[in-house]
Amino acid sequence: MPSQLVHALSSSVGSKILIALTGLGLAVFLVTHLAGNILFLFGPETFNTYSHTLLSNPLVYVAEAGLLVIFLLHVVKTLVLFFGAQQARPQGYHARRWAKTKSPRSRKSVASTTMIVTGLFTLLFLVTHLGTFKFGTYYESATGMRDLYRLQLEIFSHPGYVAFYMIAMALIFLHLWHGLTSAAQSLGVDHPQWTPRILAAGRVLAVVLAGGFFLLPLYTFLLARAS
Amino acid sequence: MAMTLTLRVWRQAGPDQPGRLVDYVAHDVHPDMSFLEMLDVVNDDLIRKGDDPIAFDSDCREGICGSCGLVINGVAHGPDPGATTCQVHMRRFAAGDTIVIEPFRARAFPVLKDLVIDRSALDRIIAAGGYVSVNAGGAPDANCLPIPKHVSDQAMDSAQCIGCGACVASCKNAAAHLFTSAKVTHLALLPQGQPERARRVVRMVEQMDEEGFGACSNEGECEAVCPKEISISNIARMNREYLKATLAGE
Repeated sequence: MPSQLVHALSSSVGSKILIALTGLGLAVFLVTHLAGNILFLFGPETFNTYSHTLLSNPLVYVAEAGLLVIFLLHVVKTLVLFFGAQQARPQGYHARRWAKTKSPRSRKSVASTTMIVTGLFTLLFLVTHLGTFKFGTYYESATGMRDLYRLQLEIFSHPGYVAFYMIAMALIFLHLWHGLTSAAQSLGVDHPQWTPRILAAGRVLAVVLAGGFFLLPLYTFLLARAS
Repeated sequence: MAMTLTLRVWRQAGPDQPGRLVDYVAHDVHPDMSFLEMLDVVNDDLIRKGDDPIAFDSDCREGICGSCGLVINGVAHGPDPGATTCQVHMRRFAAGDTIVIEPFRARAFPVLKDLVIDRSALDRIIAAGGYVSVNAGGAPDANCLPIPKHVSDQAMDSAQCIGCGACVASCKNAAAHLFTSAKVTHLALLPQGQPERARRVVRMVEQMDEEGFGACSNEGECEAVCPKEISISNIARMNREYLKATLAGE
């Protein structure tokens, strides 16, 4: 990579462009992840065949390495900007009110003010999630594939796990609510007619993604209870 | 009817001195007074008593020069949208209110005295590229340089920026992206700004970072306090300009 490009991506604007690109990359992953996980609804055969096909493809290692790099870039860049922002205002205000109280032009929300918290929680969640599933108990199905269906059923039969996932998804929802719309702005995608639609589309996607992952553990829990 | 108010004002003797909030009682405040006139009256009182008057910046007092700028009860330029501090009137407050008055806060805006800050960081961003190098001469003949109406409207909307720094003051990251982007946009949209278009945005962003401003979180708190209601669409345009310029190797 030319050093000039690295320099450009280190500036405040370049960093935000990189955060937006990596964030959108992670959102694309979430779309594919949700699409795959919905197959759980179709029973053990379908779900296990899907996961087996996915994981037995050697390209999955390349994809995983790519995801790791994207994730780390997203985390490191945001942390650098977060600490930079602390330095940019060493002395805060005694009285502080959102300017949104003065004009509705502000897009500030609970989601936008808690990005660092919801982001760090997502990091914690990810470690737990990988430990539970990817590196979790290895069950083998009758057909010789990894029985992830059984693992999911077993894990989400514990109400504690279901509650943890639901809280995590609520926080990830907040992260996506601001992040998906903010990414468009960082990348310079803005148009008087299109911006309101992009904002709406980002929020719908946030609801669909977080909502989907919110309902799956609940569905699994109810399914485990019923059987 | 005259009101009595309590003012909680940031007092700081000099740039390297510690500061603190000090309470003052403002008597005989008329609802038709501007906020700065109210401070003038309080200062008259302080001078008569032999105290040091409260230092604050102001010049035109009609919302166009960009000199004044206070954080009033936690909001830059006070409660009125699309207004500077000098355009806030005391009818916005009720008798007995306590008003907290602080300077714009940012590392790049050091406090010089009380409520007066040094905003020359913004001037240095302009000096880094916010200009057209060639002498553009006198006013050109009408329509000799055709510019579509909606483009000139956009450029003029951006050019309204008075450089007050409220965008920085209200941003949780103390970012100067709205200011810089307004300057980048108004020149990027007009024909005279084309030759230096790519170099301008890169240099201005570099200078902005060098001054110690933060990065943008796309919250739009800047737009909400901007007395000229400059849109964060300018920031999207600056990012686009920056991306294009750096990809082109500027």
